[in-house]
Amino acid sequence: MPTITIDGQLLEVPSGITVLRAAEMHGIAIPKLCDFEHLTPYGGCRLCVVEVQGSRMLQTSCTIPVTEGMEVRTDTPKVREARRLVLGMLFGERNHFCMYCQVSGGDCDLQNAALTEQMDHWPMQPPWNPYLVDASHPYFVLDNNRCILCRRCVRACDELVGNRTWGMASRGADTLLTADNGLPWGESSCIKCGTCVEVCPTGALIERHSAYQGLSAQTEAAPSLCVGCSVGCGLTLRVRDNRLVRIQSRWEAPVNHGLLCEEGRLRPFYETRQRLDTPLVRRDGALQAATWKEAWERIAQELRVSAEKTAALISTRLPAENLAAFTRLFREGLRSPMVACLEEGYPTHPALERSLTPQRRAALEDLRAADCVLVLGADLVNRHPVAGFFLKRNLPEKTRLILCGTPETPLGEKADVLLPCTGAETLSTLRALSKGVRSEADSGDTALSEAAALLQSASAPIVVIGRGFTGGANEASIAALLRLAENFGAKILLLYGKANSRAALAYGLQQRFEPAGMEAVFVLLGDDDPGGSLPERLRNVPFLAIQAAWRSELTAQADVVLPAPLWTEQGGHYLNLEGRLQEARAALRPPEGIHTPLETLQRLALLLGIPLSLEWQTALEGVDGGRWTVDRRLTTDD
Amino acid sequence: MPPKISSDWLGACAGCHMSLLDIDERLIEIAEAADIRATPITDLKRPDPEGVEVGILSGAVNLSTHVEVAKRMRERAKILVALGDCAVFGGVIAQRNLCGTLAALRRAYLEAESNDESAQIPEHPDLGVPEDVRALHEVVPVDVFVPGCPPHADVIFYVLNELAHGRMPEIKDENLHWE
Repeated sequence: MPTITIDGQLLEVPSGITVLRAAEMHGIAIPKLCDFEHLTPYGGCRLCVVEVQGSRMLQTSCTIPVTEGMEVRTDTPKVREARRLVLGMLFGERNHFCMYCQVSGGDCDLQNAALTEQMDHWPMQPPWNPYLVDASHPYFVLDNNRCILCRRCVRACDELVGNRTWGMASRGADTLLTADNGLPWGESSCIKCGTCVEVCPTGALIERHSAYQGLSAQTEAAPSLCVGCSVGCGLTLRVRDNRLVRIQSRWEAPVNHGLLCEEGRLRPFYETRQRLDTPLVRRDGALQAATWKEAWERIAQELRVSAEKTAALISTRLPAENLAAFTRLFREGLRSPMVACLEEGYPTHPALERSLTPQRRAALEDLRAADCVLVLGADLVNRHPVAGFFLKRNLPEKTRLILCGTPETPLGEKADVLLPCTGAETLSTLRALSKGVRSEADSGDTALSEAAALLQSASAPIVVIGRGFTGGANEASIAALLRLAENFGAKILLLYGKANSRAALAYGLQQRFEPAGMEAVFVLLGDDDPGGSLPERLRNVPFLAIQAAWRSELTAQADVVLPAPLWTEQGGHYLNLEGRLQEARAALRPPEGIHTPLETLQRLALLLGIPLSLEWQTALEGVDGGRWTVDRRLTTDD
Repeated sequence: MPPKISSDWLGACAGCHMSLLDIDERLIEIAEAADIRATPITDLKRPDPEGVEVGILSGAVNLSTHVEVAKRMRERAKILVALGDCAVFGGVIAQRNLCGTLAALRRAYLEAESNDESAQIPEHPDLGVPEDVRALHEVVPVDVFVPGCPPHADVIFYVLNELAHGRMPEIKDENLHWE
């Protein structure tokens, strides 16, 4: 570890890091704009310049690596003069009107830097040239007038997300941030993840929905989890007066390292469904407002009669505490033979989970670091976008992609090799691949031998398995997959559905739901969407009770409807696709008079005279070989 | 002798002087410590020809007449204060530089949806000739910059109180705001 001196302090720092990082590690503040911890150093804004003994010129601390015996000064008159010159030129270059900017007053790195330097005016007045404002995007606005050309957004879109939408056009003062080399942002290849907006140090990239709704200083930060898919991304909810104002990256989140997708960051703000706010009970053929007591009693009365002819269905967006109590009440208490979750099964996953040794089991970290990825029956781009970012950003240089599908399959155009994988082809493909490299002449199949060669030469290959891996629990395909993994030393990453999909498997809820012949059905939907076919499949059920947050076709046909809290209003535990158990806490109070699913389950148990244990952990123990423990980092606001 | 303070506004919305009035009863303290002379809200309209210790200007320079007002204040004041964002860098008014003065006047006086056929761009010798918007320091040297749109009343009181007691205000830390 080199020893360096910064402002007279003798510091021991890790080798290979930059002077700026070394200073930050020891609490020495150096102002910066283009630098961002999670992006490669760029050295573009020159605000972070420092004096290094022996160097004639000031050096950008964000790019200069530490060397043994280095002496750095961050606060000399020369450095301060250079900083003020840089800031003066930045304000003088474009059109900065702080007085009405959304980020002014604490959330603007540029303004904060100027205030730190005690700038009371701009030394250079702007030439007042107008720059393009692009308001074509449904969620965001780009105002080039406020852009300082730091390229954080360009780097984030490339290095973190792998989408490469942003770039720079023209030169000098005419340089413009541009999507897809000249398209309006709203018509570009943008996937609406908002990472660029998150890293923008000024108000050049802003969200429409959160603009003027409260700066960081006026909102509270609540760490939480996205329940959109089984990746289990950590995020920060910004809350003002019990209202969700903004969803922000949580860079220290262990699963996603700050990245979020459209679903996680923006969808909650564009909700069009109507919220249920009171229990409803069907009287004289119409759903009418009722008290909770009346609604619970009506359900209990029906369940008492239907007993083992009761079917129960639960959403995997709900916490483990709900899944466990639900399963116990219906499967053990009422002896129902039909207790399932909305996803209705991952046919190949139970057998794979049982067969995978800890050495063969991949985590998302392995996907980030893999040099060859074989994707089978999975749509990372649309179903698990953040996991998709981890893969896309490494293509094509760092990672080779072998994809089962066609050029039209998501990521199909980025794949190094496309393999046929429909129906019986999967088995033959896996069998052929698992035999390893063969000559083209021998196999007669160029794609297969190319794929085998890529897997053979990879040092950290992984296989990503989705729900569409095979049509069903195909033992031969599973055996071939395991043999392939063994032969190439590949790890296997199993993808699941929504947030608690994997926990649902552990509770035995991942199975086909068949309500025929059932006399009552209880659906614990939470804030989930019932999907297209469920209303039709439950059309002829004699009694349907549902606890849901939103009105839907399904709630309209129910006999009893109970309102439910949203994911932000209910805390609990979630088991992500890696088997990592994470806890989310409620960040918002639900509207007055809404009871949780757990309260409903407890009340029904009481009315039915069924003792109900709320224990939920045992079934989840060991699903991951004890690799993860509950991640407390998500539950503390650090 | 208490220091004489005079103020005036250029191309401004009057918000800075409103914020000045927001110092409330502390205005009496300032009036006791200093001799408040010509301001837009007192009877005298021009700074004393024999000079004042402090001249305060809010607003940007955007008419030929503003140049005269700015120069007269500069000549007569020992210390010139640029009060508010318009005086400091051009402010909201400077947005019209992005489209040009004539286009802005046409949009406002001729093309605005609320105008009828009788609409015309106002012309009067008192108005002088419209110009591109400039910050005060582009026209005359400025001694104290007080940014803000408008500056907080507490900041204005700090500035006036320091000047009233013969001290130079330092706009920094808790007195430095840009919003």
